[in-house]
Amino acid sequence: MALAKGDPVLSMHGIVKTFGGVRALDGANLEVEAGNIQGLVGQNGAGKSTLIKILAGIHRPDAGSITIRGLHCPHLTPRQVEHLGIHFIHQDRLLVPTFTVGEAMFLGAEPGIGRLPFLNRREMARQATTILRDHFDVRLAGGALISELTPAERQIVQISRALLRDPAILVFDEPTAALVRREVDRLFEIIRRLQAKGITIVYISHYLSEIESLCDQVTVLRNGVDVGHVSLKSSSTTEIVSLMLNRDIDEMFPKRAVPIGEPVLKLNEVSARGAFNEISLTLHRGEILGLTGLLGSGAKELVQSLFGLVRLHGGTIEIGSERTKVSSPPSAVSKKLALVPEDRRAHGVALQMSVRENVTLASLQRFVCFGFLQPGREKTATNELIRKLSIHTASQASPVGDLSGGNQQKVVLAKWLSRQSALYLLDEPTVGVDVGAKVEIYRLIGELAEQGAGILLLSSDLLELLGIADRILVMYRGQLAGEFNPANSTSADLLSCATGTSAVSEYVNAVSAESGR
Amino acid sequence: MTTDTSPTPSAPTGSASHPSRQSEATAEARQRSTDAPAPETIPQWLHRSSALRYTVILAFLLVFTFLSVKAPGFLTLSNFVNILVNNFTILAIVSLGMTLVLLTGGIDLSVGTAMDVGSLLFISLISAHQNFLVAICGGLAGALATGAFNAFLIGGLRIAPFLATLGTLFIGESVQQLATNGGQPIYLITGTLAPAFIYIGHGSFFGVPFPLSLAVGLTVIYYLLTERTSFGRNTVALGANPSVAWYSGARVRYTSALVYLLSAVTCGVAGIILSATIKAYVPLSGNAYLLDAIGATFIGTTLHSEGRPSVIGTTLGVLLLSIVTNGLLLIGWNFYWQQVGTGVLIFFVLATSFLGRRFRR
Repeated sequence: MALAKGDPVLSMHGIVKTFGGVRALDGANLEVEAGNIQGLVGQNGAGKSTLIKILAGIHRPDAGSITIRGLHCPHLTPRQVEHLGIHFIHQDRLLVPTFTVGEAMFLGAEPGIGRLPFLNRREMARQATTILRDHFDVRLAGGALISELTPAERQIVQISRALLRDPAILVFDEPTAALVRREVDRLFEIIRRLQAKGITIVYISHYLSEIESLCDQVTVLRNGVDVGHVSLKSSSTTEIVSLMLNRDIDEMFPKRAVPIGEPVLKLNEVSARGAFNEISLTLHRGEILGLTGLLGSGAKELVQSLFGLVRLHGGTIEIGSERTKVSSPPSAVSKKLALVPEDRRAHGVALQMSVRENVTLASLQRFVCFGFLQPGREKTATNELIRKLSIHTASQASPVGDLSGGNQQKVVLAKWLSRQSALYLLDEPTVGVDVGAKVEIYRLIGELAEQGAGILLLSSDLLELLGIADRILVMYRGQLAGEFNPANSTSADLLSCATGTSAVSEYVNAVSAESGR
Repeated sequence: MTTDTSPTPSAPTGSASHPSRQSEATAEARQRSTDAPAPETIPQWLHRSSALRYTVILAFLLVFTFLSVKAPGFLTLSNFVNILVNNFTILAIVSLGMTLVLLTGGIDLSVGTAMDVGSLLFISLISAHQNFLVAICGGLAGALATGAFNAFLIGGLRIAPFLATLGTLFIGESVQQLATNGGQPIYLITGTLAPAFIYIGHGSFFGVPFPLSLAVGLTVIYYLLTERTSFGRNTVALGANPSVAWYSGARVRYTSALVYLLSAVTCGVAGIILSATIKAYVPLSGNAYLLDAIGATFIGTTLHSEGRPSVIGTTLGVLLLSIVTNGLLLIGWNFYWQQVGTGVLIFFVLATSFLGRRFRR
């Protein structure tokens, strides 16, 4: 590590990577100077994680060159990367939960007993305790199980694991996703201390406040290209925001005027044990009804209960003007209800199935003639939806797993459009979706409302709710806590309602960073 | 149903490169502008698949050529008829049910049991001088009963298919041994058999042996069922991701229950044909088909880019296994070495196809 501060220690040039015909990186560059904390920001889907996976040797770039500490590395493998002194701290990068802290830390470099190749558990535990105390002022028993640790403690174990291997560069990939404020502050302190030791840091996040308080230099990615390199000493976060978004906020939420029609969904004092109590609401044709609430407020369970996923214990549901029961998803689908679930990959799309199979999955009866599916009609209908929703896919036979998050989400929407649903329950429909696809999804939601569908939009993105909803309901501890008109409310109003008041600042911070404001 | 999240198709960490594909992608990358959607410029066959996807066909040709040269009497018409009638037919029918079950992501270890129970009831009824149609219905009902038991355990009680059908397998073995004095075969007296009985075992249908034409007919039905009905599509969705199928309004438990019923009835047909061919019921003879059926279905999965079982793939797999068994017998390998041959073949096909899939990403 004979590099002076400021020398380029890592450079990635013109990196191109496509997945199944979809461009994830399109000539991205990343320059990191030794001893700096280099930020890497971009919306979800901008290509941050792909770039980092290429650096980690997990993906192979289609084009571009990588130079690490002066060494040209055309074919990186994970092992090579580790030898070059680059280590990754990632929320999901797993430590085996049944290992002790000592075992996890020394995995792959276990100390023996004397010369014998037996595991020296006591020594590992002792060293682990010492390292954690000396480096991080953390009192953790080296014999504690990983599964007993908090996310923050696990992260520190990961960092110490990397430190044992004498790293030159540490890459933090969205490290604060599971941390609370106090832990974030301590993580930052640790990162600064690592920098002081001469370790170069690459810090990836979409929380701008974090980038601002931590980084020296920032690279902004958008649509797979680096659109800016900013020194935080000389410029402000607003500059980064405009680089990330490349559009005004007004453009994001297309305005439309739709007459509100007769009620399509009426809830009368519905309750579900342990989730929500005596909720009454009415959703009209052409209306986008926003719904929000913190985790545990019952808002998510309310939406799920409407699709038959959570059992109701009281109250009545009217769909159209008929009293009905929704006992299971099949019965919900038969009543023309549609659910866009939050966890897209687990519940929304079958990744190994083709685009066409996913799109027609909920509406197969439409394509059946004398008991047999008509492939021709399926293809035509799918093509129409692919065009209408501008789903970027190599073909309708490609597995959905090859598409980007935003396009996968559009496939989920296409599935329900093909079903000709009348009532859409959208559960965080723009999570993990890049800005471009977000705007398209908003436009589509607007079109659905125009065509007379009723839309219940559950979202924790308050700007999104204020941008496209006609009314916003806020839930707090299983109750409806307030109703707001987006025209004369602010996200602060919604928040104070959703939270009671406590912890407002933290939530604001997270939400506004998420939406890039 | 389990709510496992399906594995994400992230790129493997393999270090092997595929030079031709890579350079092509690079060249293309330079052509395209920043915001253009990915057009269909990479030919579909090159992009999604590699030649390795067709390893079944390759293996087929290799084995065929090898046996034609090495095995005396292999390359004769009478031997091909022999292969189709004696090796192919029964396994082909059993494998159809297995294909359907594997499509849903389950497994049916009790295919042999359904065969045996069907065969036991059929032969018992025949030997008790019952009407032929009554015997057929009795045999099918017996097989259906094992399927209903599986369907109840898996669709109703949501027991994992492996465990449920393993239980059925054990229970079925005991039942057979209890019913036959510890495993005594039941032989029929040849002179007294009804013409219809002779026909389903040895008759010919427009010049084609009846069992073979029945297998072909069932294959067509299963093909249409899996590829061209909403039920078939739902089984695919169930296998790909049961949660997604459920969240899309598919009747997941009904579908999985029906799949085990169909598998059992199909195996019952195989059991009846088998016992009509040998004019006897031999206890526990169905289990011999279990592993071959699984093997054939997995060989068939290599035809699909995502490794999905299919009726066509399975039929090819059965054909391949049949030819190997027959050919090695002709060469003079004994039974135990035939098993080694089959094992190596399955390994070869699956391994090459897996490598092909790794290169692709």
